[in-house]
Amino acid sequence: MIRIDGVRWTYSGADAPTLDGLTLHVRPGETVVLCGPSGCGKSTALRLMNGLIPHFHEGELEGGAHLDGQAVADLPLDRLGRRTGTVLQHPYRQFFTDTTETELAFALENFGEPAEHIRERVTTVLDEHHLRGFTDRRLQELSGGQQQQVACAAAATHRPPVLLFDEPTSNLSAAAIERFTAMLTRLRAEGATVVIAEHRLHFLRDVADRVVALRDGRVHTEWSGQEFAALDDATLHAEGLRGLTLISRPAPPPAVAHGASVAGPTPPAGVPENGVVLRDVRCAFRGRRVLDIEEAFLPAGAITAVTGPNGVGKSTLARVLTGLQRHEGDMFLDGRRLSRTQRQRASAIVMQDVQRQLFTDSVEAELRLDARSQALLGDLDLAHLSDRHPLSLSGGQQQRLVVAAARLSARRIVVFDEPSSGVDRRHLHSITQVMRDLAAEGVVVLLISHDDELLAGAADQELRLKAIDGT
Amino acid sequence: MTVTPVAVGERSAVAARSRPVLRLDPRTKALLVLATSTVVMAPNGASFVPAALVLGVLLALNEGAWRRAVALPAGAACVAAFAYLLPLAVPHPAVGTFAIMAAYLVRFVVIGGVALHLLSTTSPTELTAALRAARLPRAITVSAAVMLRFLPTIIAEARAVYDAMRLRGIGGWGGMLRHPVLSIERFTVPLIASSLRVAEDLSASALLRGLGSVSRPTAMRPPRFGVADLAAVLVTASLATVTVLR
Repeated sequence: MIRIDGVRWTYSGADAPTLDGLTLHVRPGETVVLCGPSGCGKSTALRLMNGLIPHFHEGELEGGAHLDGQAVADLPLDRLGRRTGTVLQHPYRQFFTDTTETELAFALENFGEPAEHIRERVTTVLDEHHLRGFTDRRLQELSGGQQQQVACAAAATHRPPVLLFDEPTSNLSAAAIERFTAMLTRLRAEGATVVIAEHRLHFLRDVADRVVALRDGRVHTEWSGQEFAALDDATLHAEGLRGLTLISRPAPPPAVAHGASVAGPTPPAGVPENGVVLRDVRCAFRGRRVLDIEEAFLPAGAITAVTGPNGVGKSTLARVLTGLQRHEGDMFLDGRRLSRTQRQRASAIVMQDVQRQLFTDSVEAELRLDARSQALLGDLDLAHLSDRHPLSLSGGQQQRLVVAAARLSARRIVVFDEPSSGVDRRHLHSITQVMRDLAAEGVVVLLISHDDELLAGAADQELRLKAIDGT
Repeated sequence: MTVTPVAVGERSAVAARSRPVLRLDPRTKALLVLATSTVVMAPNGASFVPAALVLGVLLALNEGAWRRAVALPAGAACVAAFAYLLPLAVPHPAVGTFAIMAAYLVRFVVIGGVALHLLSTTSPTELTAALRAARLPRAITVSAAVMLRFLPTIIAEARAVYDAMRLRGIGGWGGMLRHPVLSIERFTVPLIASSLRVAEDLSASALLRGLGSVSRPTAMRPPRFGVADLAAVLVTASLATVTVLR
């Protein structure tokens, strides 16, 4: 179905090729997982399969890529689009319309299908993908997991024989990953050819026919699905890959908190001296209550993990803590009530999309380098980049740079919002270490994450949020 | 946890759309905007301002936008007072210049009233389908569709960048006044960088899904003219006739 033979691809402006001698054949109906460290060429390989390389991205291509027997370079992008369905890492960025139904219809409309047929097909897909509950809401109002469901359905509506997923689970909760795996199983049963680029591997162990580890732009190792499921953690570690088993982490102790948003509330204890106390904090958006915490205590010197399904107010809590969000109620730090402006001065955040936080013209300037930050750059694998412009770095490097800036910010409250999405094993450890160091200095560290591997290594206590009843 | 409606920096930038009593075809709404702006901005356009104002109020009432139904004539009256009454009370060249500007502003206000009806009752998808049905060239329909899609993204990104600036202590009015150029740079560079990244994903996905492809696009719900459109055209025509005959 897909034949890639000795492809070398260099993005224009890049010093080194991203793909270098990549040879990969995918048979019809096969499910193949591409894995490997950040920057190994996983996403680029997907772009080659759907024709974005060489039709959309600029660069130099050598070698041949064929889709269904035809050279990718010879087919126009919309003909390639009819044969492939692509889901990008951030589904909300690829939505073109504002409701589920119109998004599903989008490709069919552009391909000129008759209106009657589009309506039938959209109705079928709404049922198949269990999207009926979303039709009265706008796409921006859906949670990350729900948006992912819609994006997958939209990629499959025109029945392409090939489906490509770029890190589909990087921001999904365990329940949403389960739904995604079920959808993969169904697509496979229908005979679709599926290629998935992914760091988190445990959910794929029973779905993959073949797992291909890339390194430096070419195939490094290959396993059949069965061989892969039998690999031990030491082998994965040596390959720089994430673990295969869902880590059964010993649940960290629950944070002292209660309120309508708190799952498994803990009764109020004596108020400790150092740290953040929230009292009667409530937020609503257009009349819908999204966060309701009567009391919560986030101690200084500890990492508090904020967990819970997509859409229960975790990021809203982060905005309250950092003073970006209007709300009812009060927040205290070390016993002193802080206004929103004071909180903005006392806190730092690593956002999900870090490009929004890079303001200067070099890595050095971003960090106002001194001896301590040099060591930190080494730990975060950024030392060789200190003269570069932050916007010229890869996504993973930018993220580690913002982590470094947060580490050096000398603020009392530091929030990490999904810092491990798209992060490989090695960098997962270095980011965990940064959070540990901050906590050791007496900082209130808040970690929002769905990533069990990260939570197992980092969380000192857990504040589990739930949807408010009746909303 | 990617985007809840409240995730850091990613908030819905467009308010919910209202449901009007008479549903007009998007082509009719666009035509009303076009017709209003043509006659009102024409050399003798001031005489059409009352008719355009009545049209705007009727459209606001139709979609249940009560606040606009009141604010539109009130706003127009205020600006008109500056344009026509103030020069009588205070005859001064400076006031005269000011009055001429206000006279033009009145025209924009009444056109805005009609245009707001189009914007608040039409989704980008409907508008794009309508433009296609009106057989406009593809270069116009595709760019209009992309623009409508991208505007809310830029607003959301701008909010997120501003939030990040506030936390780094480089946002707010104080910083803006002390280092205006630096503040603008620190705002626009990340805004452009992150908007471009979103734009890249968006256009890659749209092209793969056939936007701008050779085949003639269809619509899941093709726009249709109905009795409501006839009514709107008749009302508009009579308003224009009254203006001309008066």
